[in-house]
Amino acid sequence: MNIENTKAQMRKGVLEYCILSILKDDDKYASEILGALKDAKMLVVEGTIYPLLTRLKNAGLLNYRWEESTSGPPRKYYALTETGQLFLNELNGTWDELRNAVNLVTNTK
Amino acid sequence: MNKTVNINLANTLFHIDDDAYNKLRRYLESIRRSFAGTKGSDEIIADIEARIAELFLEKMENERQVITHKEVDQVIEVMGQPEDYMVDEDIFEDEPKKSYAESSTNRAKKLYRDIDHKYIGGVCAGLEHYLGIDALWIRLIFILLAVFTSGFGFIAYILLWILVPEAATTSQKLDMRGEPVNISNIERKVKEGFDDVADKVKNVDYEKVGDKVKSGSKTFFDTIGDIILFLFKVFGKFIGILLIIIGASTLVGLFFGLFTVGMFDAVHVPGIDFYEIVNTSGAPVWVVSILLFFAVGIPFFFLLYLGLKILVNNLKSIGNIAKFSLLGLWLISVGLLIVFGIRQAAEFSYTGSVNDRTELTMEIPSDTLVITMKDGEMDYNRDDIRFGRMTFGYDENDNRILMSDEVDIKVRKSDTDSISINIRKDADGSSTPAARDRARNIEYAYTIDGNEIVLDKYLTTEIANKARNQEVTITIYVPESMTVYFDDSTTRYIGRGIDNDQGFYRSGMAGQYWLMKDDGELKCLDCPEDDDEESDGNGKIIINEDGIDIDIKDDQDSFEMKINEDGVKVKAKEKSNN
Repeated sequence: MNIENTKAQMRKGVLEYCILSILKDDDKYASEILGALKDAKMLVVEGTIYPLLTRLKNAGLLNYRWEESTSGPPRKYYALTETGQLFLNELNGTWDELRNAVNLVTNTK
Repeated sequence: MNKTVNINLANTLFHIDDDAYNKLRRYLESIRRSFAGTKGSDEIIADIEARIAELFLEKMENERQVITHKEVDQVIEVMGQPEDYMVDEDIFEDEPKKSYAESSTNRAKKLYRDIDHKYIGGVCAGLEHYLGIDALWIRLIFILLAVFTSGFGFIAYILLWILVPEAATTSQKLDMRGEPVNISNIERKVKEGFDDVADKVKNVDYEKVGDKVKSGSKTFFDTIGDIILFLFKVFGKFIGILLIIIGASTLVGLFFGLFTVGMFDAVHVPGIDFYEIVNTSGAPVWVVSILLFFAVGIPFFFLLYLGLKILVNNLKSIGNIAKFSLLGLWLISVGLLIVFGIRQAAEFSYTGSVNDRTELTMEIPSDTLVITMKDGEMDYNRDDIRFGRMTFGYDENDNRILMSDEVDIKVRKSDTDSISINIRKDADGSSTPAARDRARNIEYAYTIDGNEIVLDKYLTTEIANKARNQEVTITIYVPESMTVYFDDSTTRYIGRGIDNDQGFYRSGMAGQYWLMKDDGELKCLDCPEDDDEESDGNGKIIINEDGIDIDIKDDQDSFEMKINEDGVKVKAKEKSNN
């Protein structure tokens, strides 16, 4: 079993939840989302995010609008839909449960 | 200096280096392929392109700057390799499965001909991938099949060559190797291929500059050179195969031959005893077997190794230590064998003999002396194994003894009026006294029965004396005007040089009565008269199934020669002039 694979699997599992969380308060474009994830060391390479965003958008959790940029090409600003908001709330609960469960398991000696 | 290309990435114009452009194009191409079949792939690609454009812009200091290899590499590093774009399927189960990726993960291997690693048609190299066995062994099996099943391997190969498709495309090559067809693999393959082509193009450029002037003629001779080189290669491989076959079969043969002999020694199979009776060096048979195995086997092993080396370019060396220890082992083996051989030869270097002459008194004096050979009971008690004229027998106490029918009979004229018999025993040894000792140990007996001398057919000696050309010569001295009759049983034992008027040589004399004349010559008393003796005419030469009959006469002299089952008869007469 490859440790790098396992790490990547774990990260990828919560990536979706993280993206939704980042968009919780205000709309952001791809680079901003990437920046937040990279700061938190959730991402190693950027490529992973694009198929995910498209998936979330196709699932109706996200939508986007185009905005002109002063420097460079127009930007795609992503925002949570209502479904996305509900989805995020649900995931928040699940994450709390999961975190508790994992804490409980890993701390019990 | 480098060419630049203008590209439009997410509606932004970039100047990009030609090399860097190709790299970026390949990168985007492989990503696009990875999303083929995914919902919204165009959108994903567009997003990625937009991000790449953004990254490039960040790196640009002014409008006129050109994007180079370096920038593209940096971007690829940030964005990740194509497989990083793949998201684990299990997490998004509500999404429709990507049929493309799914089918590729557990792909079964397919049989293709591997033309990149081919010797002839790539069949064996393809089988290597399919079966997971090194192509070397598969090739050897084909060769052996071709040799030992009279061409079956050859036909099988040709059939496979025709029937199995070659792996031409990247996806086929991956199928052949059983690697999953995923983006990174395809990309890797494409890259490898591209690098190859790029290298070739570079080399061609270089050569063109170097030999611009003679380029026309050079290509022609190059082609011929290539063909000759190819033929040499094929010839070399053929020699290699031949060497392998010779080396391997000799080694296997030697192994089974000599090691089984060595084993026989341990379990005592009849026949090996002969080694013991011949051998004098004192070396046990298994030692000699092993020495022989090394002495003959090691050169053939090197032959085999040479053959393999010709066939397999990257064959691992067996190492100098191994080579020199094999060489040393060979020298030691050969040296010891030579020593044994010399000692063996020395055993036969001297011949010694003892004589034993006895005067015989016949119980019933008679005109005719009968010489008979006795079919002793030994005849029925001997092992069915022979070494030269030596064999094993058993005496009345069931002791194993050596027997030999090396018994010669001679008849000479006696100087006295009585019959006497002389038994000469000969044997070889490392010195004359040793040989004489051995000769003394020969047992040989005869009996007198009335007017009959009954001789043993065999001489015997103890096994400890070993086989050393032991032989017995019986000379019977017969007084003048006595008749001698050779019984038919003596046929094989009559020795050379018995003087007789028929010119018979050895066996021809058996079954006839002979009279001892005063000059020591035996006169045949009942030989059939020659029918042709009186024939007239000038002569004849007849050669047919009965033999050869030559009869030439003229006024002065005559010459007659007959060769038939009785022997050779030659008569030459000259008419006396006085």
